[in-house]
Amino acid sequence: MVKKGLKYQMSDQKLKTTAQFSGGCQCGAVRFHITGNLGKSGICHCRMCQKAYGSWGAALVSVVAKNLAWTRGKPTEFRSSAIVARGFCKACGTPLYMREDGDENIEISIGSLDEPNRIAPLTEQSGVESRVSWFKGMHLLPEQTTADDRSPEDLAKLKSLQHPDHDTDHWP
Amino acid sequence: MSGAIRGGCQCGAIRYAIGGPLFGSHICHCRMCQKAFGNFFAALAGVMKTDLQWIKGAPAYYRSSSIVRRGFCAHCGTPLTFAYDHTAHMNISIGSLDNPSLAKLESQFGLESMLPAFPVLHLLPGSRTEDDISAEDLHRLESRQNPDHD
Repeated sequence: MVKKGLKYQMSDQKLKTTAQFSGGCQCGAVRFHITGNLGKSGICHCRMCQKAYGSWGAALVSVVAKNLAWTRGKPTEFRSSAIVARGFCKACGTPLYMREDGDENIEISIGSLDEPNRIAPLTEQSGVESRVSWFKGMHLLPEQTTADDRSPEDLAKLKSLQHPDHDTDHWP
Repeated sequence: MSGAIRGGCQCGAIRYAIGGPLFGSHICHCRMCQKAFGNFFAALAGVMKTDLQWIKGAPAYYRSSSIVRRGFCAHCGTPLTFAYDHTAHMNISIGSLDNPSLAKLESQFGLESMLPAFPVLHLLPGSRTEDDISAEDLHRLESRQNPDHD
């Protein structure tokens, strides 16, 4: 009994020391796993990130590229400059990463993580020359939850087709 | 559509013109917008469906729920639109506008999924792109992004 208990304890410890993260695109055609700790997180306002993410900018977490495995499907890449490739899902468009040629790290889009709140505290914002004018005050904007915003009729009709925030054997 | 508001995807395969005003601009924290945009939240501007014209290429669509479809560029991935099936208006992604500062934000939605880092994002230490990239890399960097005009 003791032996068995010890074995379980050891395997628990191993699980605790090797962090695991999963993520993927909105439709679930592309899924990935990260083994090991996430690196630095930051946001980038540069005009290239704004266009690539169709947004105010990008929120990215650095991961050692060899720790990342594509577990379902493969991203499509667009070379946004001579030295950078950006990966996305061809079936739903979710921006997944950017990677500079020769860099041992890959910058994963934080929103594509199944648990985006597991990132370490953010350390920096870059590309501030292109920062949108409303960025500094956006946390003060009037707030609504999704339920506030939709009629009960809409909520009844709404059936999410988004891949859930965990791995699935089959999807959809 | 002279004088129209214009925009498009990163690679330039898709370009659009908006013949009317932007309205109801907002950010959305909901988990569906986070995944669709691979981001903390989405930034969207309202347009009338009848005011939006695709002047080059056309988006691919993903039906993210039974009543919504999201448009994007299948060639470079840029998220472009969010539209309910049953409404006369739709939303365009603010980052895809040639001039994203045309959108004046009014509200934030999807508060139930707001990420803990959100309220302090604007307080992070900041740097400019040219401060972050070595002179060597800047020399090698040759943007392939469509310029912010037709």
